[in-house]
Amino acid sequence: MALSTSLKPISSVKLAEHRNSPPRSLRVFGSDFSYSKPCEFHGLSISSPNETSSFFTSSRSSKRFTTSAFFFNKNKQAEPATPKPTKVQQLHVYELNERDRSSPAVLKLSQKPINSLGDLVPFTNKLYSGDLQKRIGITAGLCVLIQHVPERKGDRYEATYSFYFGDYGHLAVQGPYLTYEDTLLAVTGGSGIFEGAYGQVKLHQIVFPMKLFYTFYLKGIPDLPAELLGNPVPPSPAVEPSAAAKATEPHGTILNFTK
Amino acid sequence: MAASSSAVSSGIIGKPRSTSTTLSFLPASSIKLIKNPSLTQNHKLSTSNCSTFSAPKQDFTCKSQAISSDNSALEKVQELHVYEMNERDRGSPAYLRLSQKSVNSLGDLVPFSNKIYKGDLEKRIGITAGICILIENKPEMKGDRYEAIFSFYFGSYGHIAVQGPYLTYEDTYLAITGGSGIFEGVSGQVKLHQIVFPFKIFYTFYLKGIGELPAELLCKPVEPHAGVEAVPAAKACEPHATVAGFTN
Repeated sequence: MALSTSLKPISSVKLAEHRNSPPRSLRVFGSDFSYSKPCEFHGLSISSPNETSSFFTSSRSSKRFTTSAFFFNKNKQAEPATPKPTKVQQLHVYELNERDRSSPAVLKLSQKPINSLGDLVPFTNKLYSGDLQKRIGITAGLCVLIQHVPERKGDRYEATYSFYFGDYGHLAVQGPYLTYEDTLLAVTGGSGIFEGAYGQVKLHQIVFPMKLFYTFYLKGIPDLPAELLGNPVPPSPAVEPSAAAKATEPHGTILNFTK
Repeated sequence: MAASSSAVSSGIIGKPRSTSTTLSFLPASSIKLIKNPSLTQNHKLSTSNCSTFSAPKQDFTCKSQAISSDNSALEKVQELHVYEMNERDRGSPAYLRLSQKSVNSLGDLVPFSNKIYKGDLEKRIGITAGICILIENKPEMKGDRYEAIFSFYFGSYGHIAVQGPYLTYEDTYLAITGGSGIFEGVSGQVKLHQIVFPFKIFYTFYLKGIGELPAELLCKPVEPHAGVEAVPAAKACEPHATVAGFTN
């Protein structure tokens, strides 16, 4: 299989650029037509652009904002609001294709010689903790080929799949898989300890298509167990899981790791 | 998104597909042009779906500053308008008649990918990409139900992932399952309004949980009608008529 080509800067750099442009969006705030529309349309009030606050009132001045927010908050505290933590937790995992799961299954349904829209690629690989000390479970899902990208000598897929973490539960993701560069996928949800999860995950391909390294940026869930948070091994083409993990010896796996 | 080719259908806009179909996957060039511009039946969907007035979730002391500065925008709903156009130059859709039946049946799969433009049709944003899973043919509606799982790609801004029903005979709401880039953490729903089956679709996103959208994406949308087309500069992807790093 081809080794990984040099990787482009990850999209999170571009993310930072956009985050740093609040002045522009603030100017837009009061005057943009479509911005005021949701205010009337949905009967919701839009909070002031005061970045220090997390509230939601009809006032635009920050002074009045704080006062009305105070009263507002008091009223709402009567309701049993479930606090949704918004801190971001990072989780690292390795996805390795050990060629013993009949994966991937390349279905050339387009019936064309080159990769074309219509080809489907169901797949399932093994999942290891970021420190490569424990076998966690598997990935499972589908890649839908969208287009071949000749100038990058690769393909664009739309990927919809899950990461299975044994008794802990699973994480579901959806997004782009480009065989020639890193991508960010959306975390669409989860179960077990990942119930309510949202955020995004960075896919870093080490060796196409055998070794991938993921960094999840998870929100909306309680603190992850220490077992999953070991220091990740830096990605390199030669990474391999520990012998115990590969052999799924009890101390090399999480409880009831997904087979 | 564009579903099965119109050669499969009655080939006329507004009129949902006939039930009996001798189908095979036809190349895009053989798809008939839509003649009758009448819109699909007006499906009035309650707008109260879109507004959920949620209680503030955090204490309003300075503690909140430690969290992302975008919190102020988190609880409001932001509208975003997008046109999806099948310009028949992406080999899409790819109708996979895996059911091997003459009528559209469970088992058929339709991967697709089309171009998307801003609501005012002045800038090319990127593409849609995903799959429609045929669920059921609805003879009484002369159309089909699909389950659609796909993403909207907004160039360097990121993407929005959605999942939900696509009915060839009426408007639907799909769930926004997540996003990346500026859309990281997004939730909400999106209204799919089919203008010309299956070539032109108008979407209204009701987005929650993200920072304020950049001005470039916000606009007064062109009212959907059968003749809508992107401005020539956007179609030609001239630099001033695209978003940065537009997805192609």
